[in-house]
Amino acid sequence: MKLAVFKSDFRTGGDMLDRLSAEKLGIIFVGNGIYHAAVKDAGAADPVLQKSANFYVLAEDLEVRGFNASQVPGNVKVVTYDDVVDLIFNEYEKLVWV
Amino acid sequence: MIKKIAFIIRSLPYKTEASRLAMTHAIASQTVEIYLEDGQNVEPIVALVGDGVMNGLKSQSAKCYGVSTLEQHTKNGLLLDLPIMYCKEDVERLGLTEDSLIMDADDLGGDMKARIVPMSEINAALATATHLQIF
Amino acid sequence: MGKITIGAFPGLVGSLSLDFAVKLSEAAVKKGHSVDFWVSSNGTMLSKKGQRAFKDYSVLYKTLEELFKTGRFQACACEACAEARGYHKEDTMDGWIRKSMDWYLASCYNADRVLLIGGE
Repeated sequence: MKLAVFKSDFRTGGDMLDRLSAEKLGIIFVGNGIYHAAVKDAGAADPVLQKSANFYVLAEDLEVRGFNASQVPGNVKVVTYDDVVDLIFNEYEKLVWV
Repeated sequence: MIKKIAFIIRSLPYKTEASRLAMTHAIASQTVEIYLEDGQNVEPIVALVGDGVMNGLKSQSAKCYGVSTLEQHTKNGLLLDLPIMYCKEDVERLGLTEDSLIMDADDLGGDMKARIVPMSEINAALATATHLQIF
Repeated sequence: MGKITIGAFPGLVGSLSLDFAVKLSEAAVKKGHSVDFWVSSNGTMLSKKGQRAFKDYSVLYKTLEELFKTGRFQACACEACAEARGYHKEDTMDGWIRKSMDWYLASCYNADRVLLIGGE
C-alpha cells in the first residue's frame, strides 16, 4: 500500500511508525513532528530519517517554531498545505496520524 | 460493496478517551447501513498494538469512574462479530498471555474469537483495508 | 476532484491539531475537493456557537463560516460527545449538523481519503 504517516509529535509515535509497513511510505512532519527534521539531537540526525521513506515537512509548522527551510536536511522536502493536499490525493492512498 | 476500515488502537486506556472512541466508532459500523445504499457496508478491523494491547486485559473495573470498561467494549465488539487482533510481539513484550486477555464473548453469547497474531499479519490485514485510523 | 473525510478529536483550546485539520480542509476545498469534517470527543467544542476571539487561542470559526459558504464543506459533530459536554443542539454553530458515529463511518465509506486526527 501507499501510506502517508502524519508525524505530529517529536518524542511519541515512533513505536507505531516502526510497526507499520508499506510499499511506498511517506512521512509528513507536522506540528511538533517538525523537530524530527529540524533538530540534531546530540549532533546526530534523527533516526526516523534513516527509514526507507519519502520525507516532507510542513513549512508553516517549521516557521512557527523558529526554523526555516535552510535548516532541514536535503532528503526532507519542505511543503505547504497545498502540497499536502496534492500528496494526499495524488501520491498516497491511505493516511494515518501519529 | 463492502469496504474495510481499520481501527488501530495504540493508546493506553483511561487516561484519554482515544481507545474508547476507537471501539465506539468501530461498533457504530452496526448501524452505518442507514446512511448507505443497498449493498454497501463497512467492515471494521480492530487491531490492538503497542501499549494498546492493555485495553484488552481481563478484570478491569471502572466503578471508581462510573464508566464502562474497555474490557466491556472489547467483549461488545466480539459479540458484534468485529474481528479483533492483538499484536503478538507486544503481548509477549508486556508479559501478557492469552489467559490474561479478552479472547471471546462466550458469556454474552458471542461466537467471534479474538486472535493474537504477529504484527506482519496485522499489516497484511491493514493492506486490505480501504482506510486506516490510529487511535 | 476527490473527497476527504477528516475526523478530529483534539480540543479547540489546548491543542493546535484542530488548526491543522481546519487549514487542511481549507486548502483541499480551495483546490476543488470536497471535505467532510467530523469532530468527536473534545473536538466537538469546535462546533459550539458564540466563540470569541482571544490572542492566546486559535480562532477557527471564521474560517469555518467561509468554508460552509463554498458548498464543498460539510461538518458534523458527534451528538453524544456534545451532549456529554453539556451543550445541545441550540448551542451549535450555524452550518454544523449533529449525528451519531455511524454518520462518520458512512462518510469514510464514500471518501477517497480519510485522515483521523486522534489519540491525544
